[in-house]
Amino acid sequence: MNVTEPTANMSINTMEQPRVKRQIKAKSKERARELLRMMMLIRRFEERTYQEYTRPGQRIGGFCHLYSGQEAVAVGISAVFQKGKDYLITAYRDHGHSLALGMDPKAAMAEMFGRATGCSKGKGGSMHFFEVENGNLGGHGIVGSQIPLGTGAAFALKYKGIPGCCFTLFGDGAINQGVHNEALNLASLWRLPVVFIVENNKVAMGTQVERASAERELERRGSGYNMPYRAFDGNDLDEVIEVVGDAAERARKGEGPTYLVANTYRFRGHSMSDAMKYRSKEELERARLRDPIILYEQRLLQQGIITTRDSEEMESEVRQIVDEAVKFADTSPHPEPEELYTDILSEKYPLHK
Amino acid sequence: MPEIQFREALRQAMVEEMERDETVFLMGEEVGEYNGAYKVSEGMLARFGPKRIIDTPISEAGFCGLGIGAAMCGLRPIVEFMSWSFSWVAIDQLVNNAANVRYMSGGQFRVPIVFRGGNGIAHQLGATHSHRMDAVYSRIPGLIVVAPSNPYDAKGLLKTSIRCDDPVIFLESEMMLNDRGEVPAEEYTLPLGVADVKRTGSDVTIISWSKCMKYALKAAEMLEAEDIDAEVIDLRTLRPLDEQTISQSIRKTHRCVIVDEDWPYCGMGAGILEKVYQHCFDDLDAPVKRVCSEDVPSPYNHYLELQMQPNPEKVVAAVKEVCYR
Ligand SMILES: Cc1ncc(C[n+]2csc(CCOP(=O)(O)OP(=O)(O)O)c2C)c(N)n1
Repeated sequence: MNVTEPTANMSINTMEQPRVKRQIKAKSKERARELLRMMMLIRRFEERTYQEYTRPGQRIGGFCHLYSGQEAVAVGISAVFQKGKDYLITAYRDHGHSLALGMDPKAAMAEMFGRATGCSKGKGGSMHFFEVENGNLGGHGIVGSQIPLGTGAAFALKYKGIPGCCFTLFGDGAINQGVHNEALNLASLWRLPVVFIVENNKVAMGTQVERASAERELERRGSGYNMPYRAFDGNDLDEVIEVVGDAAERARKGEGPTYLVANTYRFRGHSMSDAMKYRSKEELERARLRDPIILYEQRLLQQGIITTRDSEEMESEVRQIVDEAVKFADTSPHPEPEELYTDILSEKYPLHK
Repeated sequence: MPEIQFREALRQAMVEEMERDETVFLMGEEVGEYNGAYKVSEGMLARFGPKRIIDTPISEAGFCGLGIGAAMCGLRPIVEFMSWSFSWVAIDQLVNNAANVRYMSGGQFRVPIVFRGGNGIAHQLGATHSHRMDAVYSRIPGLIVVAPSNPYDAKGLLKTSIRCDDPVIFLESEMMLNDRGEVPAEEYTLPLGVADVKRTGSDVTIISWSKCMKYALKAAEMLEAEDIDAEVIDLRTLRPLDEQTISQSIRKTHRCVIVDEDWPYCGMGAGILEKVYQHCFDDLDAPVKRVCSEDVPSPYNHYLELQMQPNPEKVVAAVKEVCYR
């Protein structure tokens, strides 16, 4: 990939409509349908989570951050993710990535309900989903904290001679943490197989990118490390597959890390308690015109890969899957009181307790 | 006396001190345009403008260090942590710089800065967002650590902290921000380093601070029914510790329970316990008991989280144990 020239940072106003005619990057038509369905599943899962969180008798607690609007990033990565070799790590907005990598929606919902059947046995919550079998190194609650961890996963791959890579994701706010600098330098210095991906949803909690980063072309925050960097349309699934796929190939071939900025938008508030006073209704409406799911759905329709009926069927399928996930979560047991004391160290040491 | 929320008491203290002293300013994530993640700084940007109410990027190490540098050069920053849990990423600045500059410069520089925000376990925030930083900072010479339990103390102590010429770690709790309490309209300040006996009693001394004071006071009430007369000390400042008030009380009651939300091992209560044994070993009629959080990371699940923490019932049980009842 030859992308050292920065591309303009697309703002929500200037992002052009993605080309409907664009070639499908999924490996097959069947796979394209699966990817669309996965995006729909994530959206449905998140919107249902919103309902469950806000309804009386709240069964989901703590901080909860929804991924609605950003689905194409996680799902695009999943299309190039090589299970068994690759890793992914992200921040607390982690439901979408986890589902895209293959987490059972039941285990995901049960985690938010704090149940023993959750992906982290009810101990982690919404911000801390993990799934070792899928190479899912987790959601991480401290902003920026996962960036060196992802770099470490890449180090382990290189050390063991495994031709995989680690997709290391973080928000536009996280690039202002100190570890961002340290990890980028280490990754490039040691040519580690990392794909750094900034999910630029334009705002960190209530702080717009322009109020937090002196450099507005965020991809340039990856410059100065002797690695390629570029921004791309994170709402266009095929573009994600193409750009992230190239960077992953580079990494797997031993050519080192790449710094990517996926321009996208979050439709919901930062977390559940956000009144969103920092953005106008018009801005949100404009952003919704570029809904990544609708864009991809239309592309598949126009290219005859799906019919309207297929798409309706998918909608009702995902609705059912999410209903079942909620039912499962709701009827699952809470962890036993003894669980408070397990999973702390690898085994009981003789003098402990 | 007007009754106000804990968060309003904090805001009043900051506003009054900013009115009084041009060098005081507030800096942190979402303190301005968003009006504070927990609305502590609500309205302050409108009142003081962006020169003095400063929104920062998510760069805790950077803006804490910047604040310390500004304090060395004559300003009095108030730095808000959205949560004290996030101070881990800035801890080098607080521990190496804020705490040591006066000493290392042989007294040439002072660091008049307040770091404040929510500390401890809130509600199902999980292991990364539930840290109790009490002991982490209280063990550092060169820092002052303040942890009020009610709006009145919070206002008086925060005003003094802002005027203080040393770095102050000011621990609040997200779970207390809605608490209401009487706060006089007239100006007042409270001294740092002085504990407050919130309830007098003769049978046992319960030592606590911050959020856990509620459990201590509630337990004292419950113990009345069992004919146990508990004295409850609110430490208010964890460093420097008011050892005198503690000793005086234990010399009277001969029994002691320490209640805090920290972990048991090397936790804040352990440090206080050592002081109690140093000063009062011969006065004690029973070993001191501690009620603290379980020795585990903070779980997300609601019930496990409750199980982990102190509560009034656990305090009552500990008191009965030290009273051999
Ligand atoms: C070190 C640290 N500081 C502050 C926070 C509180 N916080 C959580 S998310 C967030 C905004 C992060 O925005 P961004 O990185 O853009 O990711 P997004 O939420 O938009 O996905 C903040 C300030 C935190 N979790 N960790």
